[in-house]
Amino acid sequence: MSISGVQLARVSNLLVSGSMKARIQDNQQQLYKLETELSTGKVVNVPSDNPGAAAIIMQLQKTLEQRSGYSTNLDAANSQLSEVDSTLNDLTSLVQQAVSTASANVGSDVTPAQRASAAQIVQSLSNQLLSVANKQFNGQYLFGGDKSDAAPFVVGTAGVQFNGSTTVIHNQIDNGASVPTSVSATDVFGALSGSVTGSTNLGPRLQTTTRIADLIGTTGNGVKLGSIQIGNGTTTKLVDLSGASNLGDAINDINAAGLGNISAQLTLSGNGLQLVTSGTDNITVQDVGGGNTAQSLGILRTTGAGAGQPLVGTNPVARVTDLTALADLRGGAGIDTTNGFTITNGGNSATINLSVATTVEDLLNAVNGAGIGVTAAINATGDGIDIRNSTQGATMTIAEHGGTTAADLGVRSFGPVTPLSQLNGGKGIGTVAGADFQVTDSAGATFMVDLGSGQQTVQDVINAINAAATTAGVTGVTAAFAATGNGITLADTAGGAGTITVTPQNFSTAAADLGLTVPARGNTIRGADVNAVAVDGLFSDLTALQKALQANDRTAITAAGSALQADQARVANTRGAVGAHLQEVNNRKNRLADENLATHSMLSTLQDTDFTTAVTDFQTLQTALQATLQTAAKTLQLNLMNFLG
Amino acid sequence: MSLIGALNVGASGLAAAQASIQVTGNNIANAGNADYTREISSLSTASDQQLTPGIFIGNGVDLTAVKRQVDDALQVRLNSSISDNQSAVTTQQWLSRVQSTFNALSGNDLSSQMSSFFNGWSNLANKPADVGLRQVVLQNGDSLAKTFQSTHTQLNGLLSDVGQTLQTQTQAADALASQIATLNGQIVVAEGGGGGESNALRDQRDAVIKKLSGLMNVQTVQQPNGVVNVYVGSNPLVFGTQSNGVAIKQQSANGQITTSVAFKSNNATMNVTSGELGSLASVSTQINAVIGQVNMLAHNLVFELNKIHANGQGLAGFTSTTSTNPVTDPTAALKSPGANLPFTPVNGSFVVHVRQKSTGLVTSTLVPVQLTGAPTDSTLNSLATSLSTINGLSATVSNGKLTISATSSTSDFTFSQDTSGTLAALGINTFFTGTGASDIAVNATVSNQPQLIAAARNGNATDNQTAVTIAALGGQSLAALGGNSLDESYQRIVNTIGNQTAAATTQAQASQAVQQTLQSQHESTSGVSLDEEMVNLMKQQTAYQGAARLITTVNTMMQELMALVR
Repeated sequence: MSISGVQLARVSNLLVSGSMKARIQDNQQQLYKLETELSTGKVVNVPSDNPGAAAIIMQLQKTLEQRSGYSTNLDAANSQLSEVDSTLNDLTSLVQQAVSTASANVGSDVTPAQRASAAQIVQSLSNQLLSVANKQFNGQYLFGGDKSDAAPFVVGTAGVQFNGSTTVIHNQIDNGASVPTSVSATDVFGALSGSVTGSTNLGPRLQTTTRIADLIGTTGNGVKLGSIQIGNGTTTKLVDLSGASNLGDAINDINAAGLGNISAQLTLSGNGLQLVTSGTDNITVQDVGGGNTAQSLGILRTTGAGAGQPLVGTNPVARVTDLTALADLRGGAGIDTTNGFTITNGGNSATINLSVATTVEDLLNAVNGAGIGVTAAINATGDGIDIRNSTQGATMTIAEHGGTTAADLGVRSFGPVTPLSQLNGGKGIGTVAGADFQVTDSAGATFMVDLGSGQQTVQDVINAINAAATTAGVTGVTAAFAATGNGITLADTAGGAGTITVTPQNFSTAAADLGLTVPARGNTIRGADVNAVAVDGLFSDLTALQKALQANDRTAITAAGSALQADQARVANTRGAVGAHLQEVNNRKNRLADENLATHSMLSTLQDTDFTTAVTDFQTLQTALQATLQTAAKTLQLNLMNFLG
Repeated sequence: MSLIGALNVGASGLAAAQASIQVTGNNIANAGNADYTREISSLSTASDQQLTPGIFIGNGVDLTAVKRQVDDALQVRLNSSISDNQSAVTTQQWLSRVQSTFNALSGNDLSSQMSSFFNGWSNLANKPADVGLRQVVLQNGDSLAKTFQSTHTQLNGLLSDVGQTLQTQTQAADALASQIATLNGQIVVAEGGGGGESNALRDQRDAVIKKLSGLMNVQTVQQPNGVVNVYVGSNPLVFGTQSNGVAIKQQSANGQITTSVAFKSNNATMNVTSGELGSLASVSTQINAVIGQVNMLAHNLVFELNKIHANGQGLAGFTSTTSTNPVTDPTAALKSPGANLPFTPVNGSFVVHVRQKSTGLVTSTLVPVQLTGAPTDSTLNSLATSLSTINGLSATVSNGKLTISATSSTSDFTFSQDTSGTLAALGINTFFTGTGASDIAVNATVSNQPQLIAAARNGNATDNQTAVTIAALGGQSLAALGGNSLDESYQRIVNTIGNQTAAATTQAQASQAVQQTLQSQHESTSGVSLDEEMVNLMKQQTAYQGAARLITTVNTMMQELMALVR
């Protein structure tokens, strides 16, 4: 900084030398700064060099660092998805081979011996399929979902069991964008599980211990607690519910507000919150500040119902969680825990004993720990329980064990409410015009049963049989649904010497399709379960093809062939999806590279030295310094004494 | 009229010239002394003699004064500009050092460490079970923690350096104030109220005041008797021959120590706003604030990350774990001052999962943490009691720490869904330990067992949801940081220091220009010009020669006169 041009009356020696020193100092400081800029190549070396630019530089550096993280994720996703893609390619040709085998062996000119050898080929395809399904990449099983640390497909006695997870992990590849790093095994290998989807709404009753986080809310978007405004007709009060963790806390908060004689509680049946008054308050509840607390809790009432009237809220609906008490399920009706239920899968069978179970998790553990290749889980909407057969090649049935547990849970695989159209793997039952079957009781009395006229469910069939018996005047036969196990039962009480029999009529398959063509045991026909849950996937289809080829069953070969074609289409679709993800990853990578370039150039504009200017400035300063030094040398030498004799 | 009279006139001329030459000589001798004030001998005509009525004749010359050439008003402005400049220069020096501890813009600062750390988590999300990636997360966490620690240490070091300098310079200021008081006394004695000025003593006093001005902003008030009173604000520091002294005063408020300058005599705070001392006091406050902000950043990083981590699960469960943050009173509500936890939990709950190792089946239990301000609020003891009722777990409290253990070797346990922040506050299933920048560190539990790093949230081995959430934490807006993210908070700290340093630099340059301008004006009045003195010397030499010639001439005349008598 130079001395500003002041007009001085006289100039002293110290002034001359002092100002010289200041100028040289100043010049050298500027040179030093330029030298730093030139040697580091940066104008902004520390934030104070240019605080405005420094703020942007820091932000840009942060962005670049974040992008380097995304870039790592993109590379990981790219390599993993590429591997998935090539694996699916292998799989496509494998399935194609199976489909060709099926179509080559369906013709009438193929000998049984040829089919038997084709069965060998299919067996080897099955083995290859297993190795593809358990393919590892980078130490992780590609199709294991978020359980990719163990082989997802395991061969058991009943078939191929899926032990992985269908939840695919995602990772962040950009701000607010994520990509799956693999595909769900379901999308590749078909239904890994035939599931019995709970048909009952298990929605639990509310308790004061019900967590706010477990509420679905009347808006369906959960409950986000804020403040509500409660009024009693004359005054209003703000109540902050944001500290509440469960419904009890929220109720306490409202009660602590102490407005009039208003108090909050759960409704008696636990299907909502209610505000009651022991006085003449006209209760209103409003949301404040754009929140929707009252609305989602179901207690929003902008106009009161009148003095002294209670405010009965709508049900904010609690989700079923692992921690939900079994007794709270079905709105508080609970389930039958005394009897339990029976699950049969393939050759394995287990009775689920719930006598000590108290929570949903206990129930799930009982099923999952039964060791029969069956998994139970809470469904996605949180209002029911699904039981899945995760073993391809096996069929699963869920039956009562003398009580109503399975029906309470809505997981009975075959019951009075089962629609007829679902039976036999969706084929329904075959009926003909006229009588479908004849029932003969032990005393020889008979009656005809004609189905196909409006019967929708199994119960309808049972009713039709009983009605037909009544019409025919046969009193010794009663149709019902089994209390233990699944199936229609025909009980014979005629007390005759024969046995009760069911005989198909008019080539109808209805009796067989209803599982009634089994021999009577004692005086009862216990119908078979004709709604077993099978897994319709690649493994089971290959097994079916292999069995059909071995059995020389052309119909079954055709069926297996078309099922495999469906598998093929699904694999192709999935591969398409993987391709799309891969493309997205590659696009992002390219875009990231472009963005990085732009960011780097912006960073450079802000931070890098403009060498032309800097070098020019440097030279100017150098000249100035030289001039100052020369002037200083000359001026300081000048003295009157030099001129006096 | 007599010859003797003429001789006297010559003698007075000789004496005046001689004295003037001495003044000039003194000026020449002090030409290089910056504290010296140029002096001018002032001569006046001696009172004349009346020969006859109406006729006056000169009686020679008198040396009436040797005057210091000083502009008192300018001196005051110069001193105040010195205070300002010293203040700005000192502030700039110290803030630059504070700035350099952050090493910002280098691509290797705290911000970059945070990026690497969060990128490590992001990469772990690609392959959650990978031990190598877990090690990377640990190493990045460790170097981030160490960077926090070293930043904290360096800032504290700077703070103590500032304190030390402040101490030294306060002693210096105290000594200078005493000197002024002493000089005041000497000047009064020397000048004796006779109207003359003791130039050398005044030069000394001016120099001391100038030095004091560099240390603090002072106002000087000149008294008729030659005394200068020195004020700081409206309070006297030096009054006559009395110095009130300068001392350091330290006050502690809200755990922060503030240092200020005070009068030694009554310990009253001195309103020092400028000069080196004023700068040091404010720099010390600024550094304290920066340390506070860095601590805040580390504190929130630890708590927010731990809150996410505590809800996650690693590749293995715990067989036993002990909280890292002890409570002072296990019977006090967890969020109360009695519990004295470094982090404050809120009303909520968490879930404990007890897992049978052989089957993988999990039994979950909801553990409510009631913190609504009611007398029944959860305490560490009540928490231990409710944990102990869980089948397969035992919980004990010792020394304010909670230990949870699986009661059977065939089972272990994990945590999830903590809405209360209790686990993070107590230090259970956490990634970081510590409460601030000075003690942040990676929890030894996870660094010893990297499989306990929680990447999962749903309990599945290769789930990555916790890792993904942690990876995004850096840019997450946090209520505890006033809606800023961790990244933004850091940038804010660095930007603030950058701005302050830049402002101090500009101010230093500006105040230096002012000071130099005033200094040159001062030099113009009070500085010695050798050329000028040379001319004076020649002039005075000639005057001396002339006076000597006069005496010689009178002498000759007197001899002539004597010869007549003979």
